[in-house]
Amino acid sequence: MNAAPDPAAPPSHPAHRGFSPSRIAAIARNTLTELIRLKVFYFLLLFALLIIGNSAFMLRFSFQEEFQVLKDVSLGAMSIFTSLLAIVATAMLLPKDVEDRTLYTILAKPVPRFEYLAGKLGGVLVLLFIATLLMSVLFVAVLFIREKWVIAEILREAGGTPNEQALEMIANVKKSAFSGALVPGIAIIYLKACLLSALTLFVSTFASSSIFTIIVVVAVYFVGHLQATAREYWLAAGANVSWITKGFLAMVSLIFPDLQMFNLVDDIVAGNDIALGLFLRTSGLGLLYVGVYLLAAHFIFSAKEL
Amino acid sequence: MSDPTPAVSIENLTKVYPIPLRRKQLVAVRDLSLQVQPGQVYGLLGPNGSGKSTTLKIVLGLVRPTSGATKIFGSDSSEVESREQVGFLPENPYFYKYLTGEETLRFFGRICLLGGRALQDRIDELLALVGLEHARDRRLGGYSKGMLQRIGLAQALIQKPRLVVLDEPTAGVDPAGSREIRDLILDLKKQGIAVLLSSHLLAQVQEICDRVGILSRGRLVREGRLEDLISIENQTEILLEDAPPELLADIRALVEKSSGKLRDIRKPQTTLERLFLESTESSSLGNPVESTSNDRKS
Ligand SMILES: Nc1ncnc2c1ncn2[C@@H]1O[C@H](COP(=O)(O)OP(=O)(O)OP(=O)(O)O)[C@@H](O)[C@H]1O
Ligand SMILES: [Mg+2]
Repeated sequence: MNAAPDPAAPPSHPAHRGFSPSRIAAIARNTLTELIRLKVFYFLLLFALLIIGNSAFMLRFSFQEEFQVLKDVSLGAMSIFTSLLAIVATAMLLPKDVEDRTLYTILAKPVPRFEYLAGKLGGVLVLLFIATLLMSVLFVAVLFIREKWVIAEILREAGGTPNEQALEMIANVKKSAFSGALVPGIAIIYLKACLLSALTLFVSTFASSSIFTIIVVVAVYFVGHLQATAREYWLAAGANVSWITKGFLAMVSLIFPDLQMFNLVDDIVAGNDIALGLFLRTSGLGLLYVGVYLLAAHFIFSAKEL
Repeated sequence: MSDPTPAVSIENLTKVYPIPLRRKQLVAVRDLSLQVQPGQVYGLLGPNGSGKSTTLKIVLGLVRPTSGATKIFGSDSSEVESREQVGFLPENPYFYKYLTGEETLRFFGRICLLGGRALQDRIDELLALVGLEHARDRRLGGYSKGMLQRIGLAQALIQKPRLVVLDEPTAGVDPAGSREIRDLILDLKKQGIAVLLSSHLLAQVQEICDRVGILSRGRLVREGRLEDLISIENQTEILLEDAPPELLADIRALVEKSSGKLRDIRKPQTTLERLFLESTESSSLGNPVESTSNDRKS
């Protein structure tokens, strides 16, 4: 506003910047510190217990079955754990800042409200990334150890000199343990958690408490998983679907994201590859949802009376 | 510096809160106008619920006015830019419990786009200024109320603002601490920084403010220079030390001969504040109780 610099202003004063990634980074970093110091990572122990315990139980299965179950359980658990973490960690952020009035001190600094929200979300997304990474490492480690184990077993049975048949079996083991679909599959699980986090942030801008936020988002979570089935049923019901029905379904899918789309676990377990097109489409959609929810959150938050 | 932009200008400010479920409204601030000039210390006084905090929050753009406008150095409070030049200490401030004192200041410095050596120097300087050097590595969850108030003050000053807004800066601070805060405010004033504060501790306001406004139920009932408001024009006080009784008798006689009237002769009393300070003086500086133990490391 003041075109001419005020001579009375201290020289160290940076001019106001309308948008600053480093401000967002500072808030994101602070949010991450908060969540880590609240010891949210402890739940990862539960995950470790689950998959290690699970693989100990399966010694009597054939190796194909074993790897399938291990992947099914691990990826399913990863999906549920990251989703829960996203919802619970995000739900408490805003109410806590409002209650402790830390929000006043932050927004009394030259911080645009959008940057505050983006920083909060950014912090949770980094947290989710770390959590997903840690779980993946654990999962891959268990899978790797089991693979080596099974191979050692085959070699021992073959009596030191691996014959044609044994080599073929080993190749089979390797194929069913690791598949290229794991990486995009886990990426999609992470994206789904990001989406839920953005949704939770949006709900928490108008919710009265974090409990309310959690209940609403968990409800959306279930509807989001069921709606694909519901839609199929609806669309199958009559051949001549009116545009009203279609419009309604489009509305529903905006409020309740089709979370089933982010569920690629079945494909991975079956050993199918994930088509690049499908992966890109799903990721794009996930990012779009994150953007839309962040904007919606900003829309409500910027008009909010603190 | 003729006719500078006021540090704060509030024009015909009204704030109405709706009362949910009942068809009534609560007028928290009613048609309030005032200005704070650069380098001035302005005290906003008033009983509980008179609208002091509401006014300050509107100035900082945290609450939207129902009508009227507030400006900081000429830029409207609704603009984020207006907060570039201001530091704010909310009433009963709480900060992130899981951060240490130093981390808290670093965080606030970063969101003001400070960094590097300059920020570290500023943090050290401010921790020394508010007397929290001994607690810099402790988490705020373990800070006392007065310590939180001090870190809040340091936080408000992090980017060297030209205006500081303080909502009850001495609430919960012990007398020695509140005297330190008073000195600090006077120091800011010396540096030409404007201060807008709210309080209901009248004695303190009287000591430091150039100008005061008294709010009552959201209305500004008195406003002006402190001296003008409180001096009693037709009275004079004489303070004597070691005066013999004859002198007092002479004075009485003199007064009776003149047209004046003697209102009172009394022994001045020391204030409770001064008594408290004198008897706790030895332990008030530098918080030796805390610094003798080895909690610096924890
Ligand atoms: N968010 C709000 N919603 C509804 N009413 C509010 C809100 N904030 C403040 N009020 C009302 O506005 C009036 C003024 O409140 P304010 O906090 O400004 O008073 P104050 O002068 O700071 O009092 P104190 O000395 O107790 O801090 C009060 O009657 C209060 O109940
Ligand atoms: Mg108040």
